[in-house]
Parts: sequence; C-alpha cells; structure tokens
Amino acid sequence: MSSNRSKPHGLLAEFHTAADIFEAAIRCRDAGFTKWDVYTPFPIHGMDEAMGLRKSPVGWFTFCGGFTGFFTGMTMIWYMNKFDYPLVVGGKPLFTPLFAFPVSYEMTILLSAFGTLFGMFFLNQLPKFYNPLFKNERFKKSTDDRFFICIEATDPKFGTDATRTFLTEKCHAAVVELVED
Amino acid sequence: MALAGVMVTGAVVGLGMLPALGADAGHAAQVAQEAAHGAASHGGADHGHAAVSVFSLKQIAHSYLTAYMFCLSLCVGSLFLTLAHHLFDAGWSASIRRVTETLASLLFPWMLILALPIIVFAWTGNLHAWFRIDPASDHALDVKKVLFNPMAFTVMVPVLITLLGLLARQIRTWSIAQDKDGAAHWTSKSRKLAAGGIFFFAFGVTLLCFLLMKSLQHQFFSTMYGVYYFAGSVWTTLITLYLLTMWLSQPGRPLEKVYFKRQQQDLGVLFFAFTVFYSYIHFSQYFLIWNAAIPEETFWYVRREVGSWKWVGMTILFGHFFVPFLILLNQDIKRNMAVMIPVGAWAWLMQYVDMTYNVMPVLHPDGLKLTLWDPIFWLGMAAVLARLFWSDYRKNPAYPLKDPRLQEAIIHHEVPAPGASAAH
Repeated sequence: MSSNRSKPHGLLAEFHTAADIFEAAIRCRDAGFTKWDVYTPFPIHGMDEAMGLRKSPVGWFTFCGGFTGFFTGMTMIWYMNKFDYPLVVGGKPLFTPLFAFPVSYEMTILLSAFGTLFGMFFLNQLPKFYNPLFKNERFKKSTDDRFFICIEATDPKFGTDATRTFLTEKCHAAVVELVED
Repeated sequence: MALAGVMVTGAVVGLGMLPALGADAGHAAQVAQEAAHGAASHGGADHGHAAVSVFSLKQIAHSYLTAYMFCLSLCVGSLFLTLAHHLFDAGWSASIRRVTETLASLLFPWMLILALPIIVFAWTGNLHAWFRIDPASDHALDVKKVLFNPMAFTVMVPVLITLLGLLARQIRTWSIAQDKDGAAHWTSKSRKLAAGGIFFFAFGVTLLCFLLMKSLQHQFFSTMYGVYYFAGSVWTTLITLYLLTMWLSQPGRPLEKVYFKRQQQDLGVLFFAFTVFYSYIHFSQYFLIWNAAIPEETFWYVRREVGSWKWVGMTILFGHFFVPFLILLNQDIKRNMAVMIPVGAWAWLMQYVDMTYNVMPVLHPDGLKLTLWDPIFWLGMAAVLARLFWSDYRKNPAYPLKDPRLQEAIIHHEVPAPGASAAH
C-alpha cells in the first residue's frame, strides 16, 4: 500500500462495534482534530455531538429555496391570472392568495427540496469522483459490519507516527495508512 | 371544593331556568318558528340579532362551552399521545407517559361532571338552537335529526366522554400495575387496546365536537371539522406537555433523572409539526368551502367575516400559524426557554381564540365581544383541572418505573461535552 513516493492521504482506523467508534470519535474530537470523518454502516444516534460537529448550515439553503418557491408561485399566478391575461373563473377574484396558495405551497416544498439537496452537494464539494478510501479493500466493509475513522494528513494536528500511536493506543483500533495515488 | 366554583355558575344557574322549561308550550313553538324563519332568511342564522346581556344565561352558557372545549382539547390531546406512544411502541416518550396518562384520565369523571352544565344549558334553550326547533319546519335539521336531537345529545355526550375516559383510565391502570411487577405483558395489552382504541378515539372525538360545538350552527357541513378540532387539541397539548415536563425535570423534581434535552427537542419538533398540520387542516376546510361556494357551507365563514370576527380570523391565521411557524423553524429555538415559555402562553391564547371563533359568532354575530365570564371560566376551569391533575399525578410514581422501554428513553444519546471524556 504505502510507497515512499506517494503523498500520504491519512490514517484509517477500524473498529468492530458502534460503541467503540463512538468512544473513539469523542477522543478524536477532544484531541482537536478537524479534518477527519466517521464511516459507519448505519446512522449512530448522537454521533454529531460525539464528533463535535456544529449545526449544519444546509437549513439556510432550504429556507432560501422555500422562500423563493413561495413567492415565485404567488407572483407567477398573479402575473398570469390578473396581469397578463385576466380571466374570471367561477366568479372568483382575478387574484387572491387563497387559490394561489396550494401552488405556492407546492413550489415552496419543491424549491426547499432543491435547496436542501444542492446546498448539501455544494457544502460537501460533491460530486467528487475519486477518494483514496475507495482503494482500500477493508474499507468496503464500512457498508457491512465495520466502523471506520479516517484522519486526513491535511489536518494541522496530523503527524503520521503521533496520530498512529493515538489511534492504536488511545482508541484501540487497527490502523492502516492511506496514500494519494 | 374548588370544582364547585366552576360548577356553581354552570349547573345551579342552569337549573334555575328549569321551571321555565315546558311551562309555556306555545312559547316554545313560537321560538322554534322564529328560529326556523331565521335559518331560512339568513341562510343559516341561528339566533336573532338582539344584543345579548352580559349576565344572560346565553352569555354564561357560551362562555362556559368555550372554556370546556379548550379544556377538553387538552384531555383528548393527551389521550391521543398516550395511544400513539403504545401504537408506535415508542421508547423516547416512556418517561413522560405518566403525565399524558394522568391528563387523559381527567376525562372521567371530571370532564364528565363539567359537561353536565352544558347539557342543562342546552335543554333550557341557552346553547344549541335546535333543541327548540321542530325538525318538520327546518329541513337542515330534519336531515340531521338522527344525531341532532335532544335525547341523542343527552345520551351521547356523557357516554362518549365516559368511554374515552375509561379508555384512558384502563391504559393508566395497566401502566401502574407494571410499576409493581415490571412484566412486559402490560405493555402488549396496552398496545392491543390502543390499536382498537385509536378508532374509537377518532369517531368519539369527532362526534363530541360535532355535538358540542359544530351543531351550534346545525346547518353547517364539514367533514374536516373533527380533524380540525383534533389538530388544534394535540397542538395545545404538546406545548403544555413540553412546559410541564420541562418544569418536572428541573433539579429535585421527579423527572430529573429520566427526561433529557433530546426528548425536549423531540416534543418541540412534534409541536412544530402540529403547527403545520393544524394550519393545513384549517386552510383545507376554508379553501374547499371557499372554492365550492355552496351556501350551506359558506354561511359559516361568511358569519365569521362580519365586523371584528374578520380580525379574529386573521389573528388565527397569523397567530396560530405564521408566527409560531416562523419562530419554530430554527432547530435550536426548540430548546430555548426564553422563547418557548412565551410561545406556550401564546399557544394557549390562540387555542382559546380558536374555540371562541367557533362558538361565539353564534351569540355575537356583529363582532367579538369579550365578557368577564370568558377569562373566569377559561382560567377557572383550567385551574380546577390543574389542581385535580396534580393531586392525581402525585398519587402514583411520576413515570412508568419498570416500563421495558424506559431504558431507551434514559440513554437517549447523551454525549459528554468536549474535555469531559478524558478521565475515562
């Protein structure tokens, strides 16, 4: 795996139980690492707090999307029914927020969903076609029955030997080194 | 006893009218004819437009009914949350279930007793107009007389409240039995009862609010009315439960060791969800009626756009939905007491305004008219029930001690703060 010419990507620590990785995540958080992530086959409740993640800013994208959607719906119906081509239907007013509401509401949901999805893509720098983790055979078990922590070499606190010692001795994990290729 | 305070004005005053009942059959027939005439000419008006005196029995009866519907909403909301806990086999809510069980148990006998003045008021001609209308002279009543007749009302209202109350009491009895032996079969029994009970709950609550509140204008049609009352009820119950459990989990209080921030967050999220659900239902009712524009339905809202009732409607639109919705959108707000306590007080006010919006336009067609009776009955009845709740709650363990799911609620993902884990 490791070669002298390759740039190190980081260290991959493997755990057998959710409880182990939960403990280890708290230790990594308290050790002050910033560029690291946890990979588990299923969501573990409380992991966000254990990793010390701050609240995701995705909600702001959702809100902006929803806000835009609501007013797009209202404006669109006002423009079409009252301004561009006034048409009386069923003796109702040419425009009222009432009948525009269901459409605006659907637009709110649609653009909120877009805001959430694309906001998440943007914040996670997705799509990304390659990650050195994919080359690790054992990492495939992260979708099955193993739990992984990867601390990246770009982390200011990262030192190959010190971090390896930290992961093996403090976190009791099997550790392998990953390289960029 | 404190209960008597509310009962006195209700039952005694109502009974005072009884001798007048039936004393003058001719007069009754005349009243019925006038009411029928009113219904025909106003497209569903149910009383004359004469101003109602503050001290009239009609005013007292309507204020009492408004307060009763508010209090009933807390009891049925709690019963729903108890049933839902069992149906979903939930873990997180195990530690606060005793609170909803006890609140729901107020249905029997207390809410039943408090309902009796309503029946007396109705019989003495101070509430539902159709008690004095001959169905033969009113087509809208004639087609609904199976449900809307004095005998059906007198039998069904107490029976429904009693059965809902017994359902609540049965589940609580099993829950308390489990405190002693910790056997899991109590939980399965409750789940089975809840599975059937939820159907009875849906029909029971719908019928109750049809009979007590919707039939004040018996010409009205709305299939959403029951859900509408239910949605507002659970909404109010959730914020009440939120504040109550927060208080009960302060240091030195009984829920301190079993109730945590995560559960508080979940209750806040549910409250937010029901803010949306309520407005979804109420908007749908309004929108469908508005869109179809059938007079048998529209008169109900037309009535509520007269005078200041229009602004009461706007208060519900903005105060019951937009303001709480926008405040609660933020995730962290749901744990912020400086916001949630005022929101709770506001929610109580909004639910009361909503009940007023349903009941009072019948009595005051020209606009909102508040009297001293409104706060007296509302806060008085709530205070009496709060006292009864508290004495009942304290008789039993504050949470289901040996519930098999309690462990899940307790280890509800508490993570040590940075720096706290190093000692391990």
